[in-house]
Amino acid sequence: MTVNSSWFGEFIKHVVLLVGALVVILPFYLMISYSLKSPVEIATNTGGLFGAQEMMTDPRCLKAGKPEADCTMRPIVYNYTAAFTEAPLLRYLFNGVVVTASIFFIQVLIALPCAYALSKLKFWGRDVVFGLVLFCLLIPVHAIALPLYVMLAKLGLTNTYAALVIPWTISVFGIFLMRQFFMTVPDDLIDAARVDGMSEFAIVWRVMLPTAIPALLAFAIFSVVAHWNDYFWPRMVITGDLNLMTPPLGLRMFKSDLDGNEYGPMMAAATVVVAPLVVAFLLAQRRFIEGITMSGMK
Amino acid sequence: MRSSSAPIWFVAPAVILMCLLLLIPIVIAAGLSFTNYSLGSQSFEWIGFSNYFTLLEFSSYKKMFSASLTYVIVVVPVSVALGLGSAMMITSLKIGGEIYKTIFFLPVMATLLAMAIAWEFALNPLNGVINNTLRSGCDIGWLHSILTGTWYGADPANSWFGNGCINDFPLWLRERKYALSTIAFIGIWQVFGFNMVLYLAGITGIPRELYHAAAVDGAASAWERFRLVTWPMLGPTHVFVITITSIRSFQVFDTVEALTQGGPAKSTYMLVYAMYEKGVRHNQLGIGAAITMVFLIFVLSLTLIQVYFVNRRVHYS
Repeated sequence: MTVNSSWFGEFIKHVVLLVGALVVILPFYLMISYSLKSPVEIATNTGGLFGAQEMMTDPRCLKAGKPEADCTMRPIVYNYTAAFTEAPLLRYLFNGVVVTASIFFIQVLIALPCAYALSKLKFWGRDVVFGLVLFCLLIPVHAIALPLYVMLAKLGLTNTYAALVIPWTISVFGIFLMRQFFMTVPDDLIDAARVDGMSEFAIVWRVMLPTAIPALLAFAIFSVVAHWNDYFWPRMVITGDLNLMTPPLGLRMFKSDLDGNEYGPMMAAATVVVAPLVVAFLLAQRRFIEGITMSGMK
Repeated sequence: MRSSSAPIWFVAPAVILMCLLLLIPIVIAAGLSFTNYSLGSQSFEWIGFSNYFTLLEFSSYKKMFSASLTYVIVVVPVSVALGLGSAMMITSLKIGGEIYKTIFFLPVMATLLAMAIAWEFALNPLNGVINNTLRSGCDIGWLHSILTGTWYGADPANSWFGNGCINDFPLWLRERKYALSTIAFIGIWQVFGFNMVLYLAGITGIPRELYHAAAVDGAASAWERFRLVTWPMLGPTHVFVITITSIRSFQVFDTVEALTQGGPAKSTYMLVYAMYEKGVRHNQLGIGAAITMVFLIFVLSLTLIQVYFVNRRVHYS
């Protein structure tokens, strides 16, 4: 292959990948750009990425009887303040954090001891339990959603935090992952802990947990990304109560009671919801890619 | 090893939750699918297979099956090909590969619902960026003549682009002819970066010596190296990527619920959305459960096909 043709090949690949990258980025660009621009600029598609940032007056603010000086601001300020004041966005974000964090902690609390027992303890029925874990790995979440919804409704638990968390407390994938990881931990470590007089309970949390940090981190990324972004399950069990809505569900409400002028604030809200994970991903790419693809098995 | 009751206490919570939250729901779903149960009613009847017959008879459910299958048949090959293609191009780049990898993976991370709304803006027929760009293409003489074929004397109204210039461009999500393809496009946009990363891992795992060996055996062109080494060595990755993409495609929900709600004319009425609509919105849990069972059968058979291929065909080491 000549130097010239390899240079040409490289050029062509960059062109193709660049076009792909532009298509991939388009909605992100629009989201950020709409969140910065005034309603007029959005309606007329002018102003580039940042908009002209000319002072604008919020008509609804005037209608509420406030002086014009208080209602005049830059579009970026208007959009982001409206995102937080028109809808309980802060509450949505808080709910998102509470729900994803609770899910992750309970998953670990349940999965870690089970994984330890499956990998390092001999007991009657161990193979049966592991078989059960493998079987449950085959069950897709969308297939159990409707019966779980019925069960929760019968218990009067729809429209509660419990409904958002309970179905995810068991992660068979977490058990499987941790078990595979613990298989590689040398038995000597556990024997030494036993000789030191540690109880099995202490071994799980004080010996096994610290060794499992890398695997746990990957699992955390998988779990947090999945549940922060999840729209399907909150949509099933939360109906109408804004105080319980998670960020994606809150965004959807924003969209339903949209009145023309509110594209900017809505895209500001969307940016706020999308930003945490995207920023975290950009900072720790390798870990995120590992966490999500390894867990792609589920 | 000391005999203790520790294992029981360690395993019991997980086993109880697995039964309660995974196994029993499957049994309940199967049971419900033979009833006309609805929340709030005092009694229900066992109605045998009639929910399943309903699924087979009514045209809205026929549309549901065809929309779901069409979606899967479009999204899987395209996103797998794009994933493989971009992975191969990225690994062969001298500079800049990491940047493309980061960009292509962004949609996998981002909240799909938020991005679906952004796409809706882009696809807005009146002032969305996509139709605006297409329209401005109509005014550029040379571009118009290339895309419509007028340069060799074709009638501009016969081409897609020329027709768009005359009668305006599609309404995308609001037009029956285009809605499913548009939803599929967003699905591909979201998932192909995930496939790319899996293929990148697979390509890195191919021993370099195989390419040298192939070259010695006369595989000179890039295509020959791809056909003889890369493609077959990626066997396990193919099976995994295809299965997981198919399963995910059957699960499409967010975009349908937020953008089209199954319309227009049920053209995007797909399994999981139908299950939600019937079961939760319309409180017809029997039908919802029957759709659930159909969904479960689709997904389980895909998984079994995967297991079959993993055991049969793809061992090279």
